[in-house]
Amino acid sequence: MSQSEATISTGTLSLPENQDSQRSASPAPTLIQGTEPGASQDEAMFVHAQSYEDLTGEEEGAVPGSPGVEGAVESSSMEQISEDFSKLSTKLSSSDQETQNSEVRTDLGRRESIRSTGQEENEEGGLRALEAWYNHQKHVFVLSEAGKPIYSRYHSEEALSSISGVMMALVSFLETEKNAIRSIHADAYKVVFVRRSPLVLVSVSHTRQSEQEIAQELLYVYYQILSLLTGTQLHHLFQQRPSYDLRRLLSGSERITDSLLDLMDIDPSFLLGAVRCLPIVSGARDASSSCLQQAKAKSLVFSILMSRNQLISLVRRKEHYLHHIDLHLLFNLVTSSSSFKEGEAWTPVCLPKFNSSGFFHAHISYLSHDPELCLLLISTDREDFFTVSDCKRRIVERMEKRGCWGSLREALRSPFYSVAQVDIPELRHFLYKSKSSGLFTCPAMDVPYDTDEERRRLLALYQYLHSKAHCSSHHLTTIYHMGTNENILTWVTDAFELYVCFSPLATKSIATTGVSRLLRWIRKEEDRLFILSSPTY
Amino acid sequence: MSGQRVDVKVVMLGKESVGKTSLVERYVHHRFLQGPYQNTIGAAFVAKTMYVEGRSLTLGIWDTAGSERYEAMSRIYYRGAKAAIVCYDLTDASSFERVKFWVNELQNFEEHCRIYICGTKSDLLENDKSLRQVDFHDVQDYAEEIKAHVCETSSKTGQSVDELFQKVAEDYVNFNSMQGPTEAKGVDLNQKQNSTLYSCCHH
Repeated sequence: MSQSEATISTGTLSLPENQDSQRSASPAPTLIQGTEPGASQDEAMFVHAQSYEDLTGEEEGAVPGSPGVEGAVESSSMEQISEDFSKLSTKLSSSDQETQNSEVRTDLGRRESIRSTGQEENEEGGLRALEAWYNHQKHVFVLSEAGKPIYSRYHSEEALSSISGVMMALVSFLETEKNAIRSIHADAYKVVFVRRSPLVLVSVSHTRQSEQEIAQELLYVYYQILSLLTGTQLHHLFQQRPSYDLRRLLSGSERITDSLLDLMDIDPSFLLGAVRCLPIVSGARDASSSCLQQAKAKSLVFSILMSRNQLISLVRRKEHYLHHIDLHLLFNLVTSSSSFKEGEAWTPVCLPKFNSSGFFHAHISYLSHDPELCLLLISTDREDFFTVSDCKRRIVERMEKRGCWGSLREALRSPFYSVAQVDIPELRHFLYKSKSSGLFTCPAMDVPYDTDEERRRLLALYQYLHSKAHCSSHHLTTIYHMGTNENILTWVTDAFELYVCFSPLATKSIATTGVSRLLRWIRKEEDRLFILSSPTY
Repeated sequence: MSGQRVDVKVVMLGKESVGKTSLVERYVHHRFLQGPYQNTIGAAFVAKTMYVEGRSLTLGIWDTAGSERYEAMSRIYYRGAKAAIVCYDLTDASSFERVKFWVNELQNFEEHCRIYICGTKSDLLENDKSLRQVDFHDVQDYAEEIKAHVCETSSKTGQSVDELFQKVAEDYVNFNSMQGPTEAKGVDLNQKQNSTLYSCCHH
């Protein structure tokens, strides 16, 4: 596959016409944050996370106002090192890396031997299963610091015990030198380590993702575990018994984590660090928001209306902001389980980015099954079920009275718009993120991206370009990627992030004018594609 | 100002995967869903109105998660319950051990709660009696000791399911008149100064 990349100057992307209005129809690259298409018109809905670097660079437990649970547990230098994880240099020192590489090669060698034995004894089903296990694209493991396995994406207990031993050996080998292992690069494999005491998270993958992106995914898994247990409980357990077997407490939750990892493979929300909105006429969105807004209760912090990982509206308590990671975890919790489909669920859930020390209680109920429409009411008071349940009743009543259902149902029936609506020659797909609102939009993946394989390939390409644009050593604002199957223009500014996929027949000039037209289209449609206001109770 | 009027709070307890959700599903929706096991997350609430001696009565059923993760906060689900259906899997001896744990818990914290011990998945025994791991008479002896009602159900066939909930409702009607005042409201852990008191369950 012949590919070439060229960094083109941002100048060619600016538009001829000069617009004076604050919300210009087509944003120039110098556009300041908060005026880009999709930017919130009042306050933002989410905790402000400008970019991917903010997320990977952040320190854990740095929630203002919440007690620093993590810090109190272990103040060793290791803790410090793991907190500064992303600030450390990308590569280990060369001598260290050689050691690591050789260790991994031994492991790969072992796999080769297993593979050949597997061929000799074809009837040996167990070995074939093991081989299939080794062939997965991305493994994710969670271990305790004592080396006990806690989670493995593809399960397989027998392979796990020896592997977790090797992994812990690698981690502690470097720790004795007051150093931290971040990653191992061997052949096409990347082994990425994330240390969040008392847990160690490891990914072994052969994808095109950058180390940073994989580390970010591992952090999501860490937050997923926190959302089930709270940071306080997690630390308490391991403080009491370092050899604690966490699998007992997490039993039944593997599916949620599995689903999160699967979702990260196909949903660009995680890559962009943004929330996808359901496109809906703004009148209908405002109407449903106001229904949520009016059903308030003392203990309610957030009211969220969603459908299949897409946000419809979110109402929050005035002084509180939801973090998009917390919202992603909530979305995944709802979609990964059919247990919420009947009745009204009342479940403890920790929103780790909001406050990792305690549980909220989430009232989860489906307002409609076909099309799917789910209501989440997040309360601070676990005794408040009936009050919150009453809020739900009031929301449903009001939605009926105001006649919200018709337009909602229509929007839910077509959750993705076709790229043909944009009417730009050679345009196939795009991702557009408004940085100030933390929301993004993208059209349906139509032909030729209508197969699972092609979808994954396109997303992998986006991931690759994302990592190029956000590479810690040299940021790129524009990348023009030419491949045999498609050309992709990437444009990252202070205000937005844009990935536009054209057919391979598109030229650079078609792409440049296409992008300008696309931005104008997004501006024109912004009140349908984005949530422009951030209502509070 | 509760959204639903609930007369009897009923809580489902028991080890994970014994079939608490299936039991509720069978009773409320008259169906049995085949397919992969889905564990309950937290707890689910469902209200069902039924008739006992010509009078309508609403059961508020709390279907709790069996996972140990939620054990510490299970009290919020069974607090003030008038009836607890403690389930075990007839083909799993360890699940009966968990019954004893829950009964203990209820006896300590909810003395007014009537206990119903329910052996599930009885359809599995129809073809193969040897699958039974919990002896009926052992359960009966235990139940007599703690003054509990015993039954064996199958959510798949529906055997004894409606009867169980009917019994819960009848017992409530029959014994309620003799019962003393309801328990005091639990301590509000968040120490919110609510001007209005919301009670979990009232009659």
